[in-house]
Amino acid sequence: MSNYIPTIGVEVHVELKTKTKIFSNSTNGYGKMANSLTNVIDLGYPGTLPTLNEEVINLGIKAATILNCRIRKVMHFDRKNYFYPDISKNYQITQNETPIGYDGYVEITKSSGEKKKIYIEEMHIEEDTCKSAHRGTKTLLDFNRAGVPLIEIVTKPCLSDGEDVKLYLEKLKELLSYGNISDCKIEEGSMRADVNVSLRKEETDPLGVKAEIKNIGSISNAKLGVEKEIERQTKLYDKKETFKPQTRRFDDKIGDTVLMRIKETGNDYRYFPEPDIPFVVLTDEMIEEAVKTIPMLPDERREKYLNIGVSDINTNKLIQNRSLSDYFNELLEEKINHQIASNLLLGDISAYLNKEEKDIKETTLTKERFIELVNLVDNNTLTSKNLKEIINHILEETKSIKEIMEDNNIENITDDTEIRKVIKKIIEENEESVKDYKEGHDRAIKFLMGQVMKETKGKINPKMAMDTLKEELE
Amino acid sequence: MYLNKSVKEINELLKKKKIKPIDLVEEAFQNIENNKELNAYITLNKEDAIKRAKELEDKEVDNILFGIPIAVKDNIITKGLRTTCASHILDNFIPIYNATVVEKLIEKNMIIIGKTNMDEFAMGSSSRTSYFGAPHNPWNKNKISGGSSGGSATTIAARDVLFALGSDTGGSIRQPASYTGIVGMKPTYGRISRFGLVAFASSLDQIGPMTTNVYNNALLLNAIVGKDEKDLTSVKKEEDFTRLIGKDITGLKIAVPNYFMSDIVNDEIISKVKDTIKVLEENGAIVDYVDVKYLENAVTLYQIIAMSEASSNLARFDGIRYGYSYENPENIEDVYLKTRALGFGEEVKRRIMVGSYLLSGENAKIYYNKALSIREDMRKALKEVFNNYDLIIGPTTTTTAYNLDDPMDDPRKTFMDDVLVIPVNMAGLPGLNLPIGFDKNNMPIGMQIIGNSFEEAKIYQLASYLEKKLNLNLDPNGGENNE
Repeated sequence: MSNYIPTIGVEVHVELKTKTKIFSNSTNGYGKMANSLTNVIDLGYPGTLPTLNEEVINLGIKAATILNCRIRKVMHFDRKNYFYPDISKNYQITQNETPIGYDGYVEITKSSGEKKKIYIEEMHIEEDTCKSAHRGTKTLLDFNRAGVPLIEIVTKPCLSDGEDVKLYLEKLKELLSYGNISDCKIEEGSMRADVNVSLRKEETDPLGVKAEIKNIGSISNAKLGVEKEIERQTKLYDKKETFKPQTRRFDDKIGDTVLMRIKETGNDYRYFPEPDIPFVVLTDEMIEEAVKTIPMLPDERREKYLNIGVSDINTNKLIQNRSLSDYFNELLEEKINHQIASNLLLGDISAYLNKEEKDIKETTLTKERFIELVNLVDNNTLTSKNLKEIINHILEETKSIKEIMEDNNIENITDDTEIRKVIKKIIEENEESVKDYKEGHDRAIKFLMGQVMKETKGKINPKMAMDTLKEELE
Repeated sequence: MYLNKSVKEINELLKKKKIKPIDLVEEAFQNIENNKELNAYITLNKEDAIKRAKELEDKEVDNILFGIPIAVKDNIITKGLRTTCASHILDNFIPIYNATVVEKLIEKNMIIIGKTNMDEFAMGSSSRTSYFGAPHNPWNKNKISGGSSGGSATTIAARDVLFALGSDTGGSIRQPASYTGIVGMKPTYGRISRFGLVAFASSLDQIGPMTTNVYNNALLLNAIVGKDEKDLTSVKKEEDFTRLIGKDITGLKIAVPNYFMSDIVNDEIISKVKDTIKVLEENGAIVDYVDVKYLENAVTLYQIIAMSEASSNLARFDGIRYGYSYENPENIEDVYLKTRALGFGEEVKRRIMVGSYLLSGENAKIYYNKALSIREDMRKALKEVFNNYDLIIGPTTTTTAYNLDDPMDDPRKTFMDDVLVIPVNMAGLPGLNLPIGFDKNNMPIGMQIIGNSFEEAKIYQLASYLEKKLNLNLDPNGGENNE
């Protein structure tokens, strides 16, 4: 197989997290009875007119900011005219001439460590179409999705392989879900990606024939689809075969793309400015207000976590869990051991939350109680073994952690004099083992330690005991 | 007979319980029945109107329009009452919602008597493109009533009822008002919510009142204006439009665009307008002839803008969700093609085709966008006149109503009928037709009075002054002139 240079562009649609639809006051919801979230506007009844949901404009401003786009201050909507049963008016209201955001980028880090900017050509606001379900010769239409606000984000053709696509989509998902712009649930269709792939021999050659891959059900499939498509086109070029611009879909079952249709040349959408919606003019104040409400984004969180001593692994894990990360953000200024705090959140606390299917906000773990917990673990008063025994109490009761430990008879001898007293006693009683240890038999210290634990019925702090034991044996 | 009385008199009679709303409703239906051959209505609201009238008997007479019958053009959505737009494609369409104006009529306790005939989807200027046949002019049954609000004009001219709603995209209220000798107002774009007005050309469409006299017209406008959160192009400007009626016109500055008085207009009409100008001057108004740029481009711009928007607005009639649907389609393509081929009439299809062409590919830039920019120039040119003048006047139409059987084979002619009324829509201004006399065949002649944006009250001031001065008998059956 020869080597060709792939050129890849990605178009992503994300549904915005608004209460109501973009052009009517129907509820924006998922998984409800078909056509229950519709009104005469969504259904395109005669004489109905669109209104404009301001929340959508706000989210548009935020998304543009997050994606480092320039924001257009005077914009309008356009009608994209085409006949298809999924669009009730037979035109879609979109932004063709004046997308709200343009000239942006997001940065990805490739597995090689190389950082790469994925350039965003433009992002615009539009309405989602209805969902069609084909049943034999009939097609059923569910207009619940019709009029759900979308933003479409279009990259420049600057991606070069499946990894770029995967990392870009992951980054986009991370940013937009963190920005409270969208759920970005690919499986529910609230994030949808179409990928355009073409090949050419040399950088200086014109771009090759394009294939668009649709119906991609997951980010890993996006990567796989791109790789398969590069392979397919390479084989065709190698055999000196030509092909027409086409739309393909990713088939989950065979793990490959299949032809949907050959693209007709010159799709004529007869765009013109939507006369029912006046121009939208954004003031600096409106933009400022919207930007103010953008929550702290992953990159900033990452930097902050690493700076206060949280490990790489824990940092990434926290960021993958939005709710824990938000919780953790409240503790950034506290004088505590943040690595231990992150261990606790990602360890026993996460285990509890997963098992109980709860969010951390639904537990009794206030900031104050969590700080107490972190400090008790940090100063060895509470061992991890003991913690496991009382984690349910900690997360379900409101008593202080100390009280819970007392209730459960958990005592931890941390008093140095007391520890030393016990250890001295054990050393005196086990001369044989002490001698073994001094002769270099490491096993002996474990035996001595066992004796210490036995003597204290396990209530001695193991780490402190071991340190003291070593000290006394010198 | 009560509907030949003034609204104030009727209101007094209702208040004193000398008559009931049902008397008015029954009289209206009797009138409509007597004038059946005029074909002014597509659907009558008989049962519901009678029921409403009876319900109102127990209610307090709370405003001057209380209990009064009104006719509504059939492109305005009425809940539970068939709304066809005079098209086969909607001839079974019974809406589940009301237009905002209809809600306002109901709030005023007016009674909707029926839905009036019109050009199919308001596309035409003689109402002859109606799927239900054209209405006839009450002054001469062989003549057209004009269009597209021909049915509303007919029922008002015939004195079936006192009030009707029309819609005006390129003269569709004022031109038929002129042909039938009634008062018709197209208010400023944005004055009245378009929610529930089936869109023809969204940037031009406006609902307006059609009445037998100026005062009634202002009363009805009072009832239907206002900002509507369902229509983003509507604006909040509420006022009493009758407030300047009866005021003197001394010192009022009036402009007459030379183009409006050029040889495109029939001599009889020119001379009648000149007579009227004389009356104005004799009574202290200052009248100047002025040049206004771009007026001669109005029809071309209108064709481009209206047909482009229409091609998109009418795309929703596809047989999938409501209205006529082709019975035995083979596939989805067939649903679209056959439903629309059989559902729409010839003129509508022609306009959809031309509009689609105008927006196609690069054409949108060459035609639509260009037209929008010249339209803006024209709007500025007209607005500039108002820097020096209170009002603009001229003839409403170039001829009086022509014969119903005149050929329809020249599609451009129908636009030329509206050459004088279209600039008002292009500029979003308010404009009113006032009857000012008759031609030698006793067909009404109308004058158009155009105001600056949101200055409808000033238009009514001049119109009512002239109405009183001219004191024409505008009842085609020769009845008493009502004031």
